[in-house]
Amino acid sequence: MTGRKYTLTRRHLLHRGTAAATLALAAPWVRPAHAAEPIRIGIVIPFTGASGVYGSEMEQAARLVARRINEAGGLLGGRSLELIIEDSESQPTSGVVATRKLLEVNRVEAIIGYWGSPIAMASKQLLIDAGKVMMVSCAANAVTEDPHDGLIWRFQAKSTQWGPVGARIMLNKGERRVAVLAQQNPFVISMVEPFRAEIERQGGEVIREVIYNPDQPSYRAEVEEIFGTDPDGVFIPGLLTDFTSIVKEYYRAGFDTPITSLSIAADANGKFIENVGAELAEGIHHFQPAPPLDSPNYKRFVREMGAPEDTIFLFAGNAYDQLSVAALAIEKAGTTEARQWTRVIPAVSNPPGTRVLDPVEALELVRRGEEIDFIGAGSDCDFNDIGDQLNRHFLHRVIRDGRNEKVQVIA
Amino acid sequence: MIAFLVTILTLVAIAAILALALNLQWGLCGMVNFGLVGFFALGAYAAALLSLAGAGPALALLGAMVITAACGAAVAALSHRLAEEYLAIVTLGFGEVVRLTLLNESWLTGGALGLPGIPSPTLRLPGPGGEHVGFLVLCLIALALAYLVVERLARAPFGRLMRAVRDDDVVAATLGKDVVRVRIAAFAIGCALLALGGALHAWHFGYIDPSQFTPIVTAYAFMAVIAGGRGSNPGILVGAGVVMLLIEGSRFLKDVVDFVAADQLAALRLILIGAGLILFLIYRPQGLGREYRRSAASFPTVPAPASS
Repeated sequence: MTGRKYTLTRRHLLHRGTAAATLALAAPWVRPAHAAEPIRIGIVIPFTGASGVYGSEMEQAARLVARRINEAGGLLGGRSLELIIEDSESQPTSGVVATRKLLEVNRVEAIIGYWGSPIAMASKQLLIDAGKVMMVSCAANAVTEDPHDGLIWRFQAKSTQWGPVGARIMLNKGERRVAVLAQQNPFVISMVEPFRAEIERQGGEVIREVIYNPDQPSYRAEVEEIFGTDPDGVFIPGLLTDFTSIVKEYYRAGFDTPITSLSIAADANGKFIENVGAELAEGIHHFQPAPPLDSPNYKRFVREMGAPEDTIFLFAGNAYDQLSVAALAIEKAGTTEARQWTRVIPAVSNPPGTRVLDPVEALELVRRGEEIDFIGAGSDCDFNDIGDQLNRHFLHRVIRDGRNEKVQVIA
Repeated sequence: MIAFLVTILTLVAIAAILALALNLQWGLCGMVNFGLVGFFALGAYAAALLSLAGAGPALALLGAMVITAACGAAVAALSHRLAEEYLAIVTLGFGEVVRLTLLNESWLTGGALGLPGIPSPTLRLPGPGGEHVGFLVLCLIALALAYLVVERLARAPFGRLMRAVRDDDVVAATLGKDVVRVRIAAFAIGCALLALGGALHAWHFGYIDPSQFTPIVTAYAFMAVIAGGRGSNPGILVGAGVVMLLIEGSRFLKDVVDFVAADQLAALRLILIGAGLILFLIYRPQGLGREYRRSAASFPTVPAPASS
């Protein structure tokens, strides 16, 4: 008896499974057609894997912009913005497949997001070939270095700009003989040379430099090597998981040399302090390109996100700005043809023009034919000729009693 | 949609080549290769570097296959005294060595920055996206050739020898078979096929960096072989297709399900892939296909042993 019942259950399962699979495959064709064709924008961001923690805040910010613009009547006389969001899994190969799907199945006009340089590097040629706009939140210089027909826009400070900031923070603390412990990764490696140059320019010295591989089971050897040289301070640009292990080894070995790191390692939306506890984290300085925290636009953005007033979103603001700038450029150019609207991006985001903070107000001004200079939630949104962002502010913080305290904003 | 199917099929073809290679090494010859991704990466980098240096596709492919097969032969020769699980550890170590070398020898491999702008062989077919379809055709030709080679090997006396070594190497040695030579040959041929997969990967993506070659590639190949039925080449083709469709097809989930947030859906998708494989293994543990066996009836009749 039980045997027969078992067989029936399995059949049901198989039937339902097949039905679900058919439905999933047929999905793109069975969707209802809309009256006015929406403007589709793709987003490739990490929800799983090493950088998975940042995906949901970026999604929320992009949805916020889309909802506000759609509620105010959409773009180009009533076409709504439709977002299609894909998980990059923090992996270049998955990022490429996601990009292909957005371009070829969903036929998006632009793809935004792109947290993580390897993913952007692997995907960018696809967007260039398709003639669609790519907006990235990653730092490696190489992303915008090669010709890209003006299609790539970086909503982040590039890596070479990070190094001197770290150097200045350490010099201000009186650390002149410093050491570097850096992760082997395209974004971190390109900030090491500018860091050294700035230290040396101001009369300091980099006495030791160790490059470590990501995902090591232990960092004991590296920690001993770097802290054993007894520097005044150590700069450790890395990511959350490896930085957590490094700080644990450092504590276990009884070192007390001051550490300076990046906020994606030493904060990561509070994950770092959660990982190591307040005692180990005490006194670690960290910095990151940050939104203009005191600007009314950022404050309003935090309210709209429904977060506590002192929240520091490192990447949500970028997604907010990316979608806003894309929408403004489409409206200004009067077309969804990416090769055309990408050319007017500087016209809506760079000075001169009326400084405007709100994407919906900015759209109004664009429709009236006024010159505007859009100021985003994450940055001022000013770009140079190759699509790199200018004038990023860096936020320098220190961990005291298990909390991140603001030290200064470095322009 | 058609264009994306072309992408998926290209990935399926590359995954199937890897699975066929693993089936030759592990399925037929019993050599567990946990460092599969290392050989795959070696093939990809060798083909990419040769292509970037101006070698034609055929030369780049040949170079990649020879280099990788030589490394495979060396690994197999070094570990010829090791039983199954120890070979697994050696190959796992080899995979790590390759990854760390690629990551740190920047003068050759571009280090963490990777190698951009790899020229790929073009077979431009008419119509929009013709070059993608053309590349898919190349991949399918490569897959067909790989399939013919492994299937021919499996049915040849050498295939019988591999299965004998897998099932009991002492018996094979007692019968006068050179077990070490068989193992080295099988492993090297498998590695040459992995290099073929690697070269296609490098050409398909046009940009390679060490973060693309994570152990998950090895895991997918094992999944394909287990799902397809260890030892059965036709089953492996289906297995690789099923695994890749499960992984990539589930991307369409979010186009139908709008009531779950994207981050939850992303996690759910990976859970579903895992659950699908577990269900598959519960209900069909032997896999989809069966190993090639020549039935006794097809052999010329031999006199029956005298009954006592």
